Amino acid sequence: MDRPDVLVVGAGLTGCATGWHLARQGASVLIVDQGDVSAGASGQNAGSLHFQIERRFLEHGEALADQASRVVALNRLAIAEWRGLEEMLGAHLEVTLAGGLMVAETADELALLERKCRREAHYEIATELIDGDRARAIAPYLSDRVLAASWLADEGHANPRLVTPAFASAAQAFGAEIRVHTRVVAIDDIDGGFCVTLATAGRVRTVTVRQVLVAAGAWTAAVGALANLHLPVLPAGLTMSATQRAHVFMPHLIQHVGRRLSMKQTESGNVLIGGGWASRLYQDGKGAFDLSRPPALRPENLRENLRAAADVVPALAELALLRCWTGTVALTPDQLPIVGEVPRKPGFYVCAGGSGFTLGPVFARALAAALGGTANDEHLALFSPARFEHLNSFMG
Amino acid sequence: MARIDDGVHRNGGFEINVDGTVVSVAAGETVATALLAAGRVSLRRDGRDGPRGLYCNMGTCCECMVVLVSDDARRLVRACLTDTTPGMIVSTTTQDD
Repeated sequence: MDRPDVLVVGAGLTGCATGWHLARQGASVLIVDQGDVSAGASGQNAGSLHFQIERRFLEHGEALADQASRVVALNRLAIAEWRGLEEMLGAHLEVTLAGGLMVAETADELALLERKCRREAHYEIATELIDGDRARAIAPYLSDRVLAASWLADEGHANPRLVTPAFASAAQAFGAEIRVHTRVVAIDDIDGGFCVTLATAGRVRTVTVRQVLVAAGAWTAAVGALANLHLPVLPAGLTMSATQRAHVFMPHLIQHVGRRLSMKQTESGNVLIGGGWASRLYQDGKGAFDLSRPPALRPENLRENLRAAADVVPALAELALLRCWTGTVALTPDQLPIVGEVPRKPGFYVCAGGSGFTLGPVFARALAAALGGTANDEHLALFSPARFEHLNSFMG
Repeated sequence: MARIDDGVHRNGGFEINVDGTVVSVAAGETVATALLAAGRVSLRRDGRDGPRGLYCNMGTCCECMVVLVSDDARRLVRACLTDTTPGMIVSTTTQDD
């Protein structure tokens, strides 16, 4: 495949899912990844399907919360997408949408929860504010410390280690080619598209494509640089943990509005605990972060994460911690994902920057429509790279 | 693959109890070794009803978790990292409870 229609850089959830949609539409698609399928954040995340406004959007004041909350406009689409995904892909992905609770332990947190619910109502997200007793009626495993919670019946989780490989297989079944351990080393403009140089185990070759989609997570900025573009996507290291298997007692997604905490129980019974606790990115010795290594665990953060988990669900204190791992996510300056065509470089698309597991399937469908020329752009307009076009005034 | 017995000396033997069965082990052997020697290869069934058991033998995979039972506690440990001691009581059936 030397002249595919579309080159997708990144065999993560968004890349594989977009490749699948494009291949179904009849496009020839080549997906490349410097590592393996789902090796980055798509496989490192803990599988939350969160449709309430994220706590991280609420902790920097009202103005930033207003801005970042706009992403939830996509959530109703995402819920529908996840509800139909297993049937669409013909695969068991451990998708569970049994509801989610975001809890508050203090009066201040309750006030935050109230403001959050008002914002969600604005976007027609059917969150319900309930008191602690009603929360415990839904989720009897919650601690008495829980003062109130916001309940959203559509939240849940899925198994990231099944989801992206399923998209990859589906894409391949429609003729898409996936080349792993393949790096992009140059992206040159040519008439009507791009000439992209790829390196696989030292072997270098070029492909000519009409369109490029960069869906490379924390590596997005580096791939953008190959095309002489600034793509403002910044890496951040996070921390996840898994307990031993336990009988299934926690069917919901549990989050906290005031503390960094997100947890759910997998089909096999392990409780996965995270919620935004930092791990430390390595340095490359030349003033940049070394993204080739998993970030270093920060034990003090792990301790606080587990303390929050056991405060909210006391039964967790009885479970042994099996393992912790770190992963690298991508953030953008305004906390909204960057999704769509770069105005300065027609045919060059990007998708990166936040909530990539929950929203990836929605982005993939919209991107495939945009790449295929059948776009109904309304879903992507808010996330267009055009809002950062000033950064590329001297680029391209 | 055949078990190598020729020239192997398992010295200083004592007994431990695995799920109610007495298992002979040698000094210095881990619980994982004792389980293997006793033919306990499968420690649980996974979600697809496949057998799962000791895999990495170096403390990483956590597939060999067993419970050490004593009078005052039940402690979940990795069998591959835990030395046997005389009279030790090991349960492989209760790790999920």
